[in-house]
Amino acid sequence: MSEAALDVRAIRSGYGEAPVLRDVSFDVRPGEIFALLGKNGMGKSTLLKSVMGFLPLHAGSVGVFGADITGLPPHKVARREIAYTPQEQALFQDLTVEDNLRLGMRDDTFFDAGVKRIGQFFPVLPTRLKQRAGTLSGGEQKMLLVARALMSRPKLMLIDEISEGLQPSVIDRLAGVLRAERDESKVSILIIEQNVKFALSVANRYAVLKLGEIVDRGDIGGADVERRITDQLSV
Amino acid sequence: MATLLDILTTAAILYSVAAGLLIVFGVMKIINFAHGGFLTVGGYSALLITKLGLNPWWSVPCAFAIGFVCGMLIERLVMKPLYSRPLDAILATWGLGIIIGQLITLGVGREVQFVQSPVSGTIDLLGGTYSGYRLLLVLVAVVIAIGIALLLNGTRLGLVTRAVIMNENLARGLGINSGLVRFITFSLGAGLASLAGALITPLSSVDPNMGVPWLINAFMLVMVSGVSLVSLAVACLVLGGAQVLVSSWGNPILGGLTIVVLAAVVLRLRPQGFSRG
Repeated sequence: MSEAALDVRAIRSGYGEAPVLRDVSFDVRPGEIFALLGKNGMGKSTLLKSVMGFLPLHAGSVGVFGADITGLPPHKVARREIAYTPQEQALFQDLTVEDNLRLGMRDDTFFDAGVKRIGQFFPVLPTRLKQRAGTLSGGEQKMLLVARALMSRPKLMLIDEISEGLQPSVIDRLAGVLRAERDESKVSILIIEQNVKFALSVANRYAVLKLGEIVDRGDIGGADVERRITDQLSV
Repeated sequence: MATLLDILTTAAILYSVAAGLLIVFGVMKIINFAHGGFLTVGGYSALLITKLGLNPWWSVPCAFAIGFVCGMLIERLVMKPLYSRPLDAILATWGLGIIIGQLITLGVGREVQFVQSPVSGTIDLLGGTYSGYRLLLVLVAVVIAIGIALLLNGTRLGLVTRAVIMNENLARGLGINSGLVRFITFSLGAGLASLAGALITPLSSVDPNMGVPWLINAFMLVMVSGVSLVSLAVACLVLGGAQVLVSSWGNPILGGLTIVVLAAVVLRLRPQGFSRG
C-alpha cells in the first residue's frame, strides 16, 4: 500500500486528564473519502482537534503523506496542504466573504483564480464577496466553508459535520462538490458525520466511533451497510 | 475656542497613548501594564536626543525604534512562555512596568528633566493663538490612526491580525502563525507607547514614573472601547473632553480623575462601552 494521506495510529487524547479517545487507529488513503460516523459526544470533533494539534496526544501518532506530524502546532499542520473545517465558529462572521476566502490561502497570488474555481461549484459566492460572512444564510455559510477549504487546493481535507442543519438540496450540492474534488483533483477527504445518508453518498470507506473507540469499520458498497451503521449509531 | 482646541489636542494625545495598548489587547486579550513603562522609555529616548544635541525631530523615529526593540525582546523572553497563562502574563507586564521604572531610576536618577520641543511658539488660528506643538500632535494622532487602519485593512498582515483578534484558534487551523502575529503586535504596541512618550515630553517633563497616570487613563479608555480603533477615537474625544472641561472649570486634580471615574460609570451603565453592538 502506498503511504496513507492520513495515518492515525493508536491515539489517545482528551481534555486535561480525562481521556476521550482510546487507541483510535484508522487511515485515509490517497484520493478517497473516509467517513467517520458517530453520535454527539462520541469523540468525533476531539479526534479532529487532536489530529490538528489543538489537543495534545497522550499516546499514539499522526502521519500525513508519510511524514510524522505528531506534536506539531496547528498552523504547521495546516501548512502541510491540509484544510481543516471545524464544526463550530468556523467562519470569521465579521469579515467579508472575500476576506474569509483569502484566509484560506497562504498568500493572495492565486486569489482571483481561486475565486473563479470555487464559483464553478458555488456560483452565489463570487457575487457576495463584499458581504459579511455572518449575514449569509446557513447553507451559504457552509458553502463558504467548503469554498475556503478548496481555495488552497489542499491534498487532504478534514471536515467536521458539514451537513448539520442543512436542507437536502444543499447537502446534495456539497456532496457533489466533494465527490468532484476526490475524482478530479485526487483530494483525500476525511468527513466526520452523523448524517448516514450523506456519508454513504460520498464515502469509499467508513468507521463508527463510539465512546472514544472504533466499533465498526468497512467498505461502503455492501447491501447492508446502511442498516449496520444505523444499528451501531442507535444503540 | 481655546477650550475646543484643548479638547481636540487632549483627545489626540490620549489616542496616541492608548492606540498601542488597544491593539495589544485585541490580539493578546491581555492589558499590557508595561505600556506605561514603554511610554517612559520613549520619554527618555527624547531626553537622550536632547542631551546629544540632535534635532528634536529625531526623537520620533528613535523612540519608536527603541520601544519596538524593547517590545521584541520582552515578548520573546517574558510574554511568550506565559501565553497559556493569561493572568500570569498580565501580572508579568505589571512587574515589567515597575522594573523599567526602577532601571531608569538607577540609570539616570530620579530627578525631573525637560526635553526640547521640535516646534515652539504659537500659531494664529481662528482669531486666537494656540500652541503649535499641541496642534501638531493632532496631526500626528491622525497619521497614527490612518497608519494603523491601512495596516489592518490594507495588508495581508492586517487581515491575518484581524483574524487572530476575532478567533485565534480558527486562524491557527488555517495555517496562521498566531505566535508571530502576537510578537509583531506586542512590539508594535511597545513602539507606539514609546513614540507617544516622546511626543508627550515636550508638554510636560520626564521622570521615571511619567508613564503611570497615562497608563491608567489609557487602560480605562481601552476598557470602554472594546477592540475598535473607531470607538477609541470616540472615547478619547468624549472622556478627554470631559477631562478638559473639569480641569478648566473645576480643578486640575479632579480633572485627572475624570477619565477613570467616567469610564467606570460608562461601563456600569453600558458594559460594551463605546463599541457597537
